[in-house]
Amino acid sequence: MSFLKNKTDIIVGGLIIGVVAALLVLFGNPANMGFCIACFIRDTAGALGLHRAAAVQYIRPEIIGIILGAFLVALVKKEFAPRGGSAPMTRFTLGFFVMIGCLMFLGCPFRMIVRMGGGDLNALVGLVGFVCGILTGVFFLNKGYSLKRTYSLPKLEGTILPAAVVVLLILLILAPEFIFFSEAGAGPGAKHAAIAISLAAGVIVGAIAQRTRLCMAGGVRDIVLFKDFRLISGFVAILVAALITNLILTAATPGSFFKLGFAEQAVAHTDGLWNSLGMYLVGFGAILLGGCPLRQLVLAGEGNTDSAMAILGLLVGAAFCHNFGLASSAKGPTANGQIAVIIGIVVVFIIAAVNTFGKKADA
Amino acid sequence: MTYIATFFTHFGAIEFKRACASRAWEARLSPVPRSLSSSCGTCVIFKTDDVPSPVDATEDTEQIVRDEDGVYTVLYRAEGS
Repeated sequence: MSFLKNKTDIIVGGLIIGVVAALLVLFGNPANMGFCIACFIRDTAGALGLHRAAAVQYIRPEIIGIILGAFLVALVKKEFAPRGGSAPMTRFTLGFFVMIGCLMFLGCPFRMIVRMGGGDLNALVGLVGFVCGILTGVFFLNKGYSLKRTYSLPKLEGTILPAAVVVLLILLILAPEFIFFSEAGAGPGAKHAAIAISLAAGVIVGAIAQRTRLCMAGGVRDIVLFKDFRLISGFVAILVAALITNLILTAATPGSFFKLGFAEQAVAHTDGLWNSLGMYLVGFGAILLGGCPLRQLVLAGEGNTDSAMAILGLLVGAAFCHNFGLASSAKGPTANGQIAVIIGIVVVFIIAAVNTFGKKADA
Repeated sequence: MTYIATFFTHFGAIEFKRACASRAWEARLSPVPRSLSSSCGTCVIFKTDDVPSPVDATEDTEQIVRDEDGVYTVLYRAEGS
């Protein structure tokens, strides 16, 4: 029982999140995509007209809910603390390339778990790359990587992003003509649960992630750095809960929520090399950012403007992916996407090296 | 007495742990306790009979607290943090 010490909250939280993620598919989200921070930011970018890929345009209430859930809980617990000033443009750039890695794999680390819970073995290949990326990031952390300290900021600075997502929610509900929505049957963007359900799911996940500090990249990092298994417990709990819920739903409903194998998985491709390299870029970038895309949303909800910059990087990265043919599809990766991932890995290595060894040269 | 130092960067924690070793203070790296902060950074938990003061803080030190069974008393907090 000593293993459970200080982990009960994150395990229970992870189990709830896993069930919620699986149920969102029952309620209308794309298969194996109850949650995907990268895909949902990409859909939101499309809805705002930042890209014109008609298949992936929808303001996803889950993203709004996560930020607002974290924001509200942080306010109540007196942990709302606007801060920033730690290399904002570097964080924007890292966010940009993390998105390119995500859309090579077709999912963020959160969706990687959800895909595993649906039986998609391509996600296991992605996990190998993700762990290798994290280990590369940890190497630089131990060698002195730093983006320098943050500073306290006025309350207004930390409130801007939560206010902006409220505006997004209003736009979603009012659906004015200048917002783009994927038409029925057009693709993943057209598949979604009802707004209230998606929003509530997002708030639940945001609140739990704020209280538990859940982070998909932090779990592996903390094992390597501290032999601490707390964060990875949440990761495993999500996987177990999603897997069991998918099996139950498959048995109890006419739909199929679990299919074991590599081929013909939903919103996925079978190119192992590029699934792995995409997630390598995501893991490496996430460690340099201090957390996975989900963690960036939660930190931004707590008032961290550096994380808000990373989210803007993710948003712009998503637009680039679909404007320049970088995103993969069920057919596999594109040549442009492969070049972009290689460039991304090189750029992230340069950022890591400059902020590790460069500052020693400056001293 | 047990103390916890938190940092703006992971490397700040590594440097502080080295400084603890040079003072013969027992120290280890750890994730920041959730009860102390919502931040998921690295802290140094150290034990000493000396009383740490602001001069013990390094450039990257965010705060130093005394830990008495989960009751924290702030001894140092960086300006602007």
